[in-house]
Formats: sequence, C-alpha cells, structure tokens
Amino acid sequence: MNFSPIVLIDFLKYTIAAATPLLFASIGGLFSELSGMLNIALEGLMAIGAFFGMAAAGLTSNIFFGALAAILSASLASMLMGLMINKFRTNLFITGLAINLLAQGITAVLSQSWYHTKAVVAFNISVDNHLFPRFISRLPLIGPIFFSHSMITIFAWLWVLTSAFIIKNTKHGLKIRATGSNPQAVSALGFSPDRIHMQAFLWSGVGSGLGGYALGLSISAFVPNIISGRGWIALVAIYLGRKKPLWIAASCLLFAFAESLSNYIQGFSSIPPLLVLALPYLVTLISLILAERE
Amino acid sequence: MRNQRAFSATFRVLMAAAFSIILAATVLLLFAEDFRSALWQFFVEPFSSRYFFGNYIADTVPLIISGIGVSIAFRSKNFNLGGEGQIYAGALAGGVLALHAPEAFGPGTVWILVAFIGAFIGAIIGTISGLLKAYWRISEMISSYLISAIIINISDFFITGPLQDSTSNFQTTAQIPSVFLLPRIFSPSKLDISIWLALFLVLFFHILSKKSKMGFELRVCGENEEFARYCGISVRAYNIAAMAISGGMYGLSGALLVIGPQGRVMRGFSSGLGWSAISVALLAQGRETAILPAALFIAFLKAGSDHVMIGSGVPSEIISMLQATAMLFITAQVMPKLWQRQRQ
Repeated sequence: MNFSPIVLIDFLKYTIAAATPLLFASIGGLFSELSGMLNIALEGLMAIGAFFGMAAAGLTSNIFFGALAAILSASLASMLMGLMINKFRTNLFITGLAINLLAQGITAVLSQSWYHTKAVVAFNISVDNHLFPRFISRLPLIGPIFFSHSMITIFAWLWVLTSAFIIKNTKHGLKIRATGSNPQAVSALGFSPDRIHMQAFLWSGVGSGLGGYALGLSISAFVPNIISGRGWIALVAIYLGRKKPLWIAASCLLFAFAESLSNYIQGFSSIPPLLVLALPYLVTLISLILAERE
Repeated sequence: MRNQRAFSATFRVLMAAAFSIILAATVLLLFAEDFRSALWQFFVEPFSSRYFFGNYIADTVPLIISGIGVSIAFRSKNFNLGGEGQIYAGALAGGVLALHAPEAFGPGTVWILVAFIGAFIGAIIGTISGLLKAYWRISEMISSYLISAIIINISDFFITGPLQDSTSNFQTTAQIPSVFLLPRIFSPSKLDISIWLALFLVLFFHILSKKSKMGFELRVCGENEEFARYCGISVRAYNIAAMAISGGMYGLSGALLVIGPQGRVMRGFSSGLGWSAISVALLAQGRETAILPAALFIAFLKAGSDHVMIGSGVPSEIISMLQATAMLFITAQVMPKLWQRQRQ
C-alpha cells in the first residue's frame, strides 16, 4: 500500500465529503436528544429524505427543490413520530423502530411504483463543485481538500455553526435544553414540554432529511440500503461529542475518516473488502464504549 | 380493574392487527395492477394449498423462537436490536458445523449440536451488549445494532469468500447434506420438526416466567429497577441474562433455518426476520402464550406480502409498513384511556 500525496489529498477530501450526511443527521438528532428524547429513527428519516429528495431533484432537475422535498418529507415523518409520542403516548423506542421500518417499506414500494425497480435508481443530477474562486480552490493542498466541495457540504458546516448558536444563545435553544433536564420546571413556567418536543423532532427531521439527501446526491442515485447504518453512527456521534455541536462535528469527521479509510483500503490492499466494510461500525462501537464508559 | 386492563390490551392488539390489514388492502389498491387478484393473493393464497399453508406455518417457527427471546428481554426492559446479525451468525455457525460433520455422527447428534452452537453464538453476541449495559451503562439498543452490523459484514465475507459454493451462481454456502436436514412433516411443504421445539420453548418460557423465582425477579427488574435492587436482586445479572437469552433464541432460529427450510446460508440470510421477531413480541404484549397467535399473524403478513410480490409485482417490503403500523398502534396508550374516560 503506498500513499502518494495525490492519494492523500483525495483521501482527505473524501473524508470531508463523507462527513456531510453525518453532520446533518447528528446535529438534527442533537436537538431531540437535548429535549430528552433519544431519536433512534434517524436512520429511517435519512432514508425518507434521500428517496423523496432525489425523486424531486430528478423530476425538476433542480437540487434546491430536491432539498426542499427532503426536508419536507423527513420532517413530516419526524412530526408523525412526535405526534405519536406526545398525543398517543407511544413508547419512544418502539415508535422509532416503527419509523425505521416504515421508511424501508415506503421507499421500496414507491421506488417500484415510480421507477419500476427496487434496486438502483440512477439520477442525472450534477452538483457544482466550484463555489470558490479559482485562486482559492487551486491553492496547493488546502485548495483541493477544503475548497472544492459541493454546496451541500458547505451548507452542512453552516448548519453545524447555526445550530450551535441556536442551542447556546437563543431562547428556543434554552427551552429545548431545559425540557431535557427538567420538563416539570418548563411546564411550571407556562411552556408546554410536548410542544417543545415537537419542535425538537422537527429539527431532527430537517437534519436527517438533508443528511439522507446529501448521501443521495453524492452518488447521484437512490439504492435500497443507501443509509446503511449512518443514522446510528450519527447517533453515536452525539454521545462521542458529549452533546456539544462542535465536538459532534469532530466525531463525524472521525467516523467519516473510518469510512474513507475502509474505501481506500479496499483499493490498495489485499484485505477482503467485505471485512473492511465492517471498519466504520467497529470504530463507531469502540467510540461509543469510550464515550459512555465514565 | 384487572379485567379492564386485560381487555384494553387485547383491544389494542386487535386494533393494531385490523389497521395493518386495512393498510395492506390500501397499498394493494394503490399499487397493484389488478386489485382483486392481489387481494386474493394476499389474503387467500397462503391458505389455498397444502404446500403454501405448510410453508406459512414453517415461517412461524423462527418467529416464535426469536419472538419469545425478544419477549423475555422486554420483560426486563431490554431492547435487543441486533437480531439480524445474531440470526446470521447462528445460521453460519450451524451451517459450517452441518457441512463438516462426519456422517458417523448420525443426524440426531448433528441436529442437537447445530442447534446448540447456533444458540451459543447468538447468546455470546447478545451477552456483549448485556455486559456493556450492565457495567458501563451503554445503550443496549445502539450497541446491539452496531455489533450486528459488524457481524453481517463478517458473515457476508465468509459466505462470499472461504465458504462460497463454487458450483453456484448465487452468493451462498454449499448445500447441507440431506441426511443432516430436519425431517419434513407436512409434505410437500417445508414445515419440519423444529415446530415441536418452538412449541416446547413457548411452554418452557411460560412456566419459567410464571412459576419460577427467576421469572419473577426478571419481571421486577423491568418494572422497578430501584425496588429490585432494594430486594437484593442482581439487576446486572438479569440485564446480561436477558440479552443472552434473546441473542441465543435469535441464533437458534438461524441455525434451525439452515438445517430446515433453507438448507444453506445465502447472503442476506436474515432478511428482516430480526425486526419481525420484535413485532411478534410487541403484539404478544409480554405474554409468552400470546407469542403463538402473534407469530401466526406476522407470518401471515409475510406470506401475503411474498405472494403479492410474485403475483402482482408489489414489493414484499410492504411487510415493513404493515409491521410499523401494527407497532405504532400497539404502543399507543390513548385508546384505553379514552375508553376509561367514557366510563367515568
């Protein structure tokens, strides 16, 4: 295995791109986590966002409409989840499980109905990678690694920073955090914890919807198992980042690093690819243990 | 009061079943080319011949066995989400054993060994999550899911690599020698003697949880951890045991599938079975004997979905939607509440 500088640059660039879906989903999941709800449906919400986002983008040939559809569909599913939990008092985890299953079913049935296949649905959507002026994206090393990404990756980092600000500095963020630590106090102050939970679920939906869509855009296709555990990895990133947005972003980078490592090892070594594919999950599991142990 | 609660639980289960059937009909109406024949395929065809009916009953076997494990784990508030990987690993271990067992062993010994090794491997995997929860308070849901994802990749590697059947075009291990396959009891269908083991396990766990001290303590751990600790019950041990039992039952059903209906380990072996077992346990609402009707119902949804896929081209994944609907209705607490309010 030899790593030439070009491969290394490529590798780091890929790592940042691979972190994009995780950033969206884990920060989205952070909102419900802070409000006191462990959202295990991130995986399913991402799948819904990926499917409807790609479908809308394919239909309109416009990535913004795709993003809109991804946000709307995943938020709708997330709000359904919140509604079931708040109004029908369903068990949080079983509801999350049900949403994951629902996502699997809906995407398969609609994929068969709209595209006549349950397998790969390829779309012809190109994403502009030249957002920065040439002299910046052509800077040696940092140009290709940091400044040649698509708009959605840039937006993912804006999403992290904005969310960090909202959580830390706004009344809305404070209410969400307070609901998580002391719902009685929140309702004593005249706010409805149920309503705040719904708002947190809305954030989860927006984040995971965009995360799934980013994944779809990165391969310009929808495939049945497109999310393949990233929703769960995003969940672990919340813990590893100790529920702090910037640390969560760093955790996402770590998991993305494991993912690109597993991709590159497949091309460069004789270790069987299927074994290497287990690497991201293994890294995630170890991180979970290290993060939660104390 | 007791009767009232029992009624609303039953009522909720029936509502859940009714709504998933209504949804099934709706999906068929929207997506099947020919609604009436799709309805027939879904609701009647699984019962229309000895072959289909036997296969339908054969499908309940892994659901009963894994479902009872999940149900036991639920009792102590443990959610094992690693079923897919545990089934796969149990199947692979059992399959390797059955492929390499010398014929001198005789079928009976091999069946017992295969069942044992499958259950053992599944239990080990479950135990890891149990230990992580008991000693380091790590969510057993996330850890069991992640461990399962790792195991699925490793199993995929073995099936497509060292264990790949070179004469087959599919990604699968070789066929298990027919002497080591479980005898079929309802020809021409795939139903085999493992159904008796499934029924025995239901009885066994029913007695264990109702009549034994262990079963009682397990329930106390789930209902009130603080109180259990106060009574001197080792909550830790029961958390680990619950995860080991559910993992073991998953592994066992995988192993029985290999020497039963499947006869080999194909890639993607578990194909949603792990999640279906959770639906079965939820529908049974923690009562061991209710596992049987619950498994019959979920297997019916599966058989129906498979039949409409072959007959009408509606993806068999509709089963996940139907199960999701059933799950949502089953955990909804508002229906019994409304009913109680009206009475007051």
